[in-house]
This record gives sequence, structure tokens and C-alpha cells, in this order.
Amino acid sequence: MAGLADLIGQFNNVTYVVLMMIGFYAMTGKRNLVKKLVGMNIFQWSIILFVVSLSAKRDATIPIVLEGNNAGALPALEAAQYVNPLPQVLMLTAIVVGVAITGVALALLLRIYKRYGTLEEDQLLERIRLTG
Amino acid sequence: MRYLHLVVTTLTGLLLIMGSLGMPATGDPDSPPSSHVSPRYIEQGYKETAVPNMVTFVLADYRSFDTLGEVTVIFTGAMAVLLILRGARSEAEE
Repeated sequence: MAGLADLIGQFNNVTYVVLMMIGFYAMTGKRNLVKKLVGMNIFQWSIILFVVSLSAKRDATIPIVLEGNNAGALPALEAAQYVNPLPQVLMLTAIVVGVAITGVALALLLRIYKRYGTLEEDQLLERIRLTG
Repeated sequence: MRYLHLVVTTLTGLLLIMGSLGMPATGDPDSPPSSHVSPRYIEQGYKETAVPNMVTFVLADYRSFDTLGEVTVIFTGAMAVLLILRGARSEAEE
């Protein structure tokens, strides 16, 4: 069984799991569709934060080439000097896709509200059964 | 029924935390995500593209087709929003 020291070493991952479970609970347990959407966004951001935290390196700086050290010649770059840029790039794509998903979902919610006058799941099911 | 969600959420969370104990330590320079292909980008990318910002050159140079696909996603999303909202307007006029 894992000790407390292991848990402290993984404090960022534990934080993201807690965030993710908040989002998961909102998606499954809440009745309001807007709250479900907010839960989905929290879930998504927990994953994005998790992957960005994978790029961290001890004693490394942001992934922008430091040119001031040796002007003129191309600087010799060491991988340990800079944070890993690939997770950040991939999560940039994920953020863009997430914004598109949120926009489409909000438009659908607007449409549902205009037609049925509610965003509560139980009332919505009732009205769909009544009006067809 | 209300507590079922809480139980499922807690169980999944504990499972994920147990799984995260096997992860490499935070900030480890030799962790798998930082040791296979990313040193190649960091060491050679500036020479090959002359862009100082590494995120920019990976996004817009090495992965530019990926970024093109991203633009397609945004375009499709914008079209979907436009069509859905236009339908809502014509429905309200009826």
C-alpha cells in the first residue's frame, strides 16, 4: 500500500483527480443541463492541467530560446534546460477543440430552452412526453 | 439514487489516485514524456526553423497539418452554432 510520502510526491495529480471528480459528479449527479456543461468543462480542464504538468522539469525554464547568452552564433540548446514543449502544444489543440464543443453545446441549450422553456432534466422529459 | 453518484465518483477518484501513484515524480527530467522525442525538438528545432518560441514552432511548423485540422474543427463548430441559432430564430417566428 502506498505511503503518505508517495501521495505528497503526486500532490498535483491528486489535485487534478479531485477536480476531475468534481466535474464527473456535476455531469452525472446534477439535473440542470447548464450545470452539466460546466461540469464537463471542469473535467476537460483537469485533463489539460494534468498533461501540462507532465511537461514540468526540475530547474528548467519556459520553452523559449534564451538568445542573450551568446549573441550572433546559434546557441547550443540542452534539453534539460527547457521545459518539454510537446504537452503544451497538444493541450493548445485540446483547448481549441474544447471551446468549439462548449460553443455548440451552449447553442443547443439555447435551442432547447426556446422550445421547452426549461433546462431542468426532469421537467424537460415531462414536457417532451406531453408535447412530443 | 442521489448517493449512488457520490459513491461512484468517490470510487473512481480513489482508483485514479491509486493509478497516479505509479506516475513518474513531478519535475523528473528523465520521465517518459520528456525523454523520447522532445529533446530532439528542443535541441534541433531552433536551428531548423529559426523561431525562438518552441511551442510556436512545434505548433505552426512541425505540426502545421494538425493546426490546419484544428482550424477545420473551429470552422465546423462555428457553422454548427450558426445553423442551430438560425433554426431557433425561424422557429420563434412561427
